[in-house]
This record gives sequence, structure tokens and C-alpha cells, in this order.
Amino acid sequence: MTNHESAQPEIDDELTAYLDGELDAVSVRRVEDRLARDTMYRAQLQKLERTWDLLDRLPRADVGEKFTKTTLEMVAVAAAKEAEDVKLALPKLKQRQRLAGIIGMVAALAVGYAIGRQTWPDPNEALLRDLPVIENMDLFYQVEDVDFLRALDREHLFEDAEGDNAS
Amino acid sequence: MLKVRDDDAAAFDELMLRYQNRLVTVLEHLVGRRDQAEDLAQEVFLRVYRARKRYVAGAKFSTWLYTIANHVAANALRSRSRRPEVNISARATESGGIGTLDKMAVASSGAMPTRQMDKAELRDVVREAMQGLSERQRLAVLLNKFEDMSYADIASAMELTPQAVKSLLSRARVNLKELLEPYFDDGTRPQ
Repeated sequence: MTNHESAQPEIDDELTAYLDGELDAVSVRRVEDRLARDTMYRAQLQKLERTWDLLDRLPRADVGEKFTKTTLEMVAVAAAKEAEDVKLALPKLKQRQRLAGIIGMVAALAVGYAIGRQTWPDPNEALLRDLPVIENMDLFYQVEDVDFLRALDREHLFEDAEGDNAS
Repeated sequence: MLKVRDDDAAAFDELMLRYQNRLVTVLEHLVGRRDQAEDLAQEVFLRVYRARKRYVAGAKFSTWLYTIANHVAANALRSRSRRPEVNISARATESGGIGTLDKMAVASSGAMPTRQMDKAELRDVVREAMQGLSERQRLAVLLNKFEDMSYADIASAMELTPQAVKSLLSRARVNLKELLEPYFDDGTRPQ
């Protein structure tokens, strides 16, 4: 059932795009140049345009108030259901939110403590570590020779009676 | 639509009033039945409402609306094709005349070469020609003709490329020409 024109889909594509204003400026000039000199090309354009204009005969809907009213009622029902679903989910949501908050706080505290310990070491640790020296400081001042003290330490002469080694 | 997204009820009312006739018009010519077109249009507006939070600022509302309409209509037509129903092209027309182009050709074969067709009859002939297109061709034609949408917007709504839309509309125009031309030139039936 195809005629000569419809056997040339490229021509139809081009003419349709031209009628729909979808061609670039260069293509429009090319089409219009051909329309001016090619009668069959021009006839095809006119036929396509005429049948397209016939679509204006198709009726347009006018739905009326009843359609609007029933549609808005449907949407209102959907909105009410949506609100109900949110309300039912709220206690669970709040519980989850509280738990998440607690976990987050604990995690933040743990991380903060670890960073703090790295950044600001406990000054008391140094004192505890050096306690044996501090306790015997009066004696060590009398010796005045660190190498001599180290030699005595190598002989384990600074260990106390319980065998604890504080160094 | 941005106001609808932010739960402004009055904005939704206004949007509906602005688009309801246009949407039902497109759907009616797409599915061929006014009652079904109204049902589908209501479904489309309901989906628009439910999906309002996903609407992106800057997107064209009409393109988004007809993307949803395309899905809703496609589902309906698929369901209908699975069920045996009355053939659309054979249904009685509003003018009380014959519903198919072939029958109109038979009725006119004895008439004068230049046929005088009344408006109602012409409307029916054009409507029947539209039903002779494929569903995709029909939707592309309706969006282009009635909604004045560009190829890019039609492509977005139909999830095609602009080039595919261009071919679709070209084929549709040629098919319409072939369906309608014989009846308006000299009243003879197409061979």
C-alpha cells in the first residue's frame, strides 16, 4: 500500500522534522531550496501538512466538576493513608533514633578518649615509671656518677626485697 | 509542582485543573475510550501525588506527567490486549454512522467524486485513522500535536531517543496520509 513518496523514508523524515520546526538552520535552507525547485517534494510536503491539519478535527475533552471532585477525593484518601503510615512508624522510628544516638555518643566518646591519650599523654605515667628513682634520689645525688649507677643496676643491686624491678 | 512537592494542597488543585482536560484528551485518543481515559487520568494524578517528593526542580512537569501517563496507558493497553473485548475500530460512532473506513468507503462508492462530509463524519474518519496507527505512533502524534511537545520532550516522556521520535512521527504522518488521502481526494477506497 506504499506509494512512491513513502518508499523514501529519509524524505519523509526530513519533511516531518521541517514541519515540526525541528531542523537546524542549515537543514531548513536545504529543504526550502529543494521545495522551490522540486514539485514532487513540494507535493509530498503539502500532503503531509494537510493530513496533519485534519487532526484538529479530533475532539478535546472537557471533564467537568465531577471528575475533578472524585480525583481530589482519591488523592485525599491517599494522603490520609500516607499520614497514618508515618504515624504508625513513628514510635519505632523514635526508638531507632534514640538507640542510634546512644551508640553514636558512646563511639564518639571512645574515639575522643583514644585521640586524647595520643595527643596529651598522662603526666602521672612518667612519674609512676620513675618512682623508684625519685624515692632514692637523695642517695643517687651522693654518687654523682651515672655510669657507676648503671653498673650497680646491672648487678641487680637496686632490686627490693620482694624482687620487683621498677626500671 | 515544587509547591505540590512541599505538600501544598491548593497547588495540587491548580495543577489538576490546568492539566486534566489535556491529559484526558491524550488518553482518550490513545486508548480509544473516554470512560477508560478518565479512569487512567485519575490513576496518573494519584501517581503524581504519591511521587511528588521525587520531583526534581528544573524538570518540565508536562514531560514528567506524560511519562507517567505513558506507563499507565501502556499497562492498560497490555491488559486489554490479553482480554477479548469489543474491537475498537468497529464501535459505533457518536454521529451514529459507520465505524470503519472500509464501511464508509462502501457507503460512499455510489456518491459523487467530491464527497461532502459533515463535521461529525470527518471527525469519525480522522479518529478511525488514528486508531490505525501503532500505540507508540499514536502517543507521539498526540504529544506533538495536542501538547506541542518537542522531539526531545517526547523522547523523554516515551523513553526513546529524539531520532527514534523523529522516525516515529514521520511514519505516523505517512500512515495517516495513506489512510485519509483517498477519501478526501476523490472518495475512492485505497488499493
